[in-house]
Amino acid sequence: MKRKISGKVIVSVLTASFLTASLTGCTFGFASDPDDPNEVVEEIPIDTSVDSFAYDSSLSGTSITLLNSKAEIQVALEKMSVAYEERSGVHVEVMPVTDGDSPYTRVVSLYNSGNPPTLAILDTTDVIALAEEKAADLSEEPWVAEAEGYLTEVNGKVYCFPLCIEGRGIIYNKAVIEEALGREFDPASIRTQDSFVALLEELKAAGIQRPVSVAKEDWSLGAHHLQYIYELYDGTTPGAQEKVEEIKAGTLDLSSYARLEEFLNMFDVLKTYNVAQGDPLGADYDEMAIDLADGKTAFWFNGNWAWPNLAEAGADVEDEYGFLPYFMNNDETDFANQKIQASPSKQVMLDRIVASEKQQAAAKEFLNWIVFSEIGQQMLVKTCNVIPPFQNNPYEPLDPLSADIYAKVHSGNTFNASVIVPNDHWAVLGAAMQKYLADRSDRAELIGSIEEYWAQQN
Amino acid sequence: MKSKNSGKDFCMFGLPGMFCFFAVVIIPFVYGVYLTLTDWDGVSSTKNFIGLRNFAGVVRDSQFWSSLILTFEYVIVVVVLVNVMAFAIAYLLTRGIKGQNFFRAGFFTPNLIGGIVLGYIWQFVFSRAFVSVGESTGWSLFGISWLSTPGKAFAALVLVTVWQLSGYMILIYVAGFMGLSEDVMEAASIDGASGWKKMTNIVMPLMMSSITICLFLTLSRAFMVYDVNLSLTAGGPYGTTEMAAMHVYEKAFTSRAFGLGQAEAFVLFIVVACISGLQVYFTKKQEVEA
Amino acid sequence: MKQTNVGGSRRKMMNALAIAVLVIIFIGYMFPFLMVVINSLKQKRDIIKSPFSWLFTIKGLSFDNFVKAFVQMDFLNAFKNSLLVTVSATVLVTLLAAMLAYYIVRNKNKISDFTFALMVASMIIPFQAIMIPLVSIYGGTLHVLEHRLTLIFMHTGFSMAMSVFMFHGFIKGNIPIALEEASCIDGCSHAQTFFLIVFPLLKPIISTMVILNSLAFWNDFLLPSLVLSKKELLTLPLSTYSFYGTYSADYGTIMAGLLLCVIPILILYVVLQKQIIGGVVAGAVK
Repeated sequence: MKRKISGKVIVSVLTASFLTASLTGCTFGFASDPDDPNEVVEEIPIDTSVDSFAYDSSLSGTSITLLNSKAEIQVALEKMSVAYEERSGVHVEVMPVTDGDSPYTRVVSLYNSGNPPTLAILDTTDVIALAEEKAADLSEEPWVAEAEGYLTEVNGKVYCFPLCIEGRGIIYNKAVIEEALGREFDPASIRTQDSFVALLEELKAAGIQRPVSVAKEDWSLGAHHLQYIYELYDGTTPGAQEKVEEIKAGTLDLSSYARLEEFLNMFDVLKTYNVAQGDPLGADYDEMAIDLADGKTAFWFNGNWAWPNLAEAGADVEDEYGFLPYFMNNDETDFANQKIQASPSKQVMLDRIVASEKQQAAAKEFLNWIVFSEIGQQMLVKTCNVIPPFQNNPYEPLDPLSADIYAKVHSGNTFNASVIVPNDHWAVLGAAMQKYLADRSDRAELIGSIEEYWAQQN
Repeated sequence: MKSKNSGKDFCMFGLPGMFCFFAVVIIPFVYGVYLTLTDWDGVSSTKNFIGLRNFAGVVRDSQFWSSLILTFEYVIVVVVLVNVMAFAIAYLLTRGIKGQNFFRAGFFTPNLIGGIVLGYIWQFVFSRAFVSVGESTGWSLFGISWLSTPGKAFAALVLVTVWQLSGYMILIYVAGFMGLSEDVMEAASIDGASGWKKMTNIVMPLMMSSITICLFLTLSRAFMVYDVNLSLTAGGPYGTTEMAAMHVYEKAFTSRAFGLGQAEAFVLFIVVACISGLQVYFTKKQEVEA
Repeated sequence: MKQTNVGGSRRKMMNALAIAVLVIIFIGYMFPFLMVVINSLKQKRDIIKSPFSWLFTIKGLSFDNFVKAFVQMDFLNAFKNSLLVTVSATVLVTLLAAMLAYYIVRNKNKISDFTFALMVASMIIPFQAIMIPLVSIYGGTLHVLEHRLTLIFMHTGFSMAMSVFMFHGFIKGNIPIALEEASCIDGCSHAQTFFLIVFPLLKPIISTMVILNSLAFWNDFLLPSLVLSKKELLTLPLSTYSFYGTYSADYGTIMAGLLLCVIPILILYVVLQKQIIGGVVAGAVK
């Protein structure tokens, strides 16, 4: 008897909770608590009254696909595709890259299945790997002129559309700093590593024991931190690429390369004031957002993509967050201490192998629509909430992190060095950086790993 | 069934299952083996035959071999722990104790949680629950997250695998115990000094077919560990817990060395095939022919 | 007499001890599942800051996550797809594998030996090794992706080896050939012998395999993601994609989604457990 009862109890408890779940949905609708930190920010209305974009009516009825690897804008892209279809008659099916595979794996398997997406949003290295084999030449497209400085070329041709600019640096929470110090805080006043350390000491004295969050993830350490040694050579793409080639060829001695030493000095500063210093590899990404929003820390090394996490953690669009540079030394005139890195991060590639002429034409029109139509321009900024790399786009991003990058781009306080490194760079050297972060290796060992990695690339 | 009409029997009983199996598993596998002999990168439209050059690359990839050694260590620990636990628990669950159905449902739950959620929940356990226990008790064992030191991260992987796989094996052992006749089950109850002897002399031989299956399954699953590896430690801290299957996948798709990754997968397959072949051969010998 | 008594009390003690040990291990096993249940009712912030806190100490405890998961997953449609795929593939593989295993056990010839050896060996092929060849054959050459039938067929093929292996072991160990010989004398055809006499005796192993296979099909992510990408065809695990971001994930909704996915399987298990017992009792009567 007992056995039967226990079985039934499980079923009925589960069924009950299931029913309650669905009933709550029906009875109370979706109205939720105004303090709900999970609640997505109110949708920003799009002004659709003006639309001067010239649609090619012969493309109406065409159907194309768009593979999206930027999960956080999936819903926004779906809305964009609806808006575009209403006006052009072209159907854009937005396919997500699902959890569990990398965008590249997904695209490779789709090409093998003979069913590749017409358009694919990919990382720059992925596009370069595929460009000459699969992608259509976009060099003659009208939007190219608007994206100057943010284009990626392969052998002199443009194969991809830069979807957004992303910047990274040391995120600060102004309110926290001002409250701790009891005075105004001007981010522009911090111009050297020493003044940054002095600020950290001040915060420490004011009660914020360890004011910095450093992520332990290999992509953060291997790509976002370590790549400064290439990017900060002179802040340009050719300069960074030149350093990479020298390291690869073994002609640059890393142990005497100034930028590497400076980088490690700054990394050591971050390490010293790391909130998770007791267990740096036990740090949790989501908790860092909460710590920064709550004021347990004042700084977090990350990029403007961190906004949704901060918003979830309770940060408000009105709050003042912004970026400090990665201070390399004490030279106030060094650009590295003044500017932050901001470069195109996601690229859209157009398939030329399987897509029909008409589909390619429709896809090109869709890209131009994003850049030139009033609605596309608004939706890129307001719905997708990204920083547009197109000069003609008049809209400003709303969240404080993107707004800060946007302002810095327009005041000349950013640099764009898009270095191309092998795709496993972040994974392999991210592991070496983790070891260094955890104090289980010294500088010599880390430099050895970097040299060994590059030696294998020949 | 041994009589005439064997052709018709084959078509009716054997063929449909074999067709599915060959079409989905064997043909792609053979094609995959062919790919290891080419320089195909996964996307290009041309494939050039390059012979065994990819396999020479496998020999040179020292990380592959160290990940394989790590996998061996892991497999040994996991296979022993999983089978001892699952056998013991299945035995207890078939003795007619109170609420055994409820218990069985509970031991089944590890099977219900898969993928990234599993890794996430266990990350919580190791980096938070354990740490908070450490903070309140001062035990250094729980002082910092298990996932941030190589040895403990390995232990964490073993623990989660044992939890997950034994849930599965319990099911099979339970089915095995229930297939035994009442007399045997009676004999199996350890109620005297001779209980242990009865267990090893009577029950174990009759359970040998279940044991063969479970050993084989744990062996192959442990060798192929990927999901848990990826979602719990992602190979970390600093690459010290990267097992063979994960290394192969990373090689093919993160390092973009598709042919090399495919060749390493094939080498891994050969290694596992040899080991499980030996295991099945030896345990089969112990089985009682019914 | 006396001896029996001593044995009886000792057995009681052993029983109590066994239960005590079981309860301890049981709690350990249930713990992660419990975490899912508790955290599915919390907001993300609370999940991260206080994953273990008891429900009543958390403000904002609600079924919001379930509602959100239900809507975003297009639950009913995804449920229908999952159900269709899982049920068809489970029925197909159970039937075909039982027949094939029966054939292999009762016909010792080269084909059956070879097939069985190949099947056992194939169980250790890493799926990643055949993933790309699989899509290039079925997509690039045959153009049959984006159909639920293809997925059903592939599920059946991939779980064939393991199922045959299990049925093989069971038939060999538990089904006496004498039964069939008797039915042969009675004039049953081979098909009749199998379906009327052998198949019903396989109940315990069928129940086990139905559970294991349907669970695998129901929860599988990688294979369906290779075969299906159209929204209206997505299965339950595929439909949770929108809960995962590039850097972080919507944990509360993920856990609620997981529970929504898992409930049908749990019910199936509880139902089939009786079947397993029933099968054994029926076997004992004979």
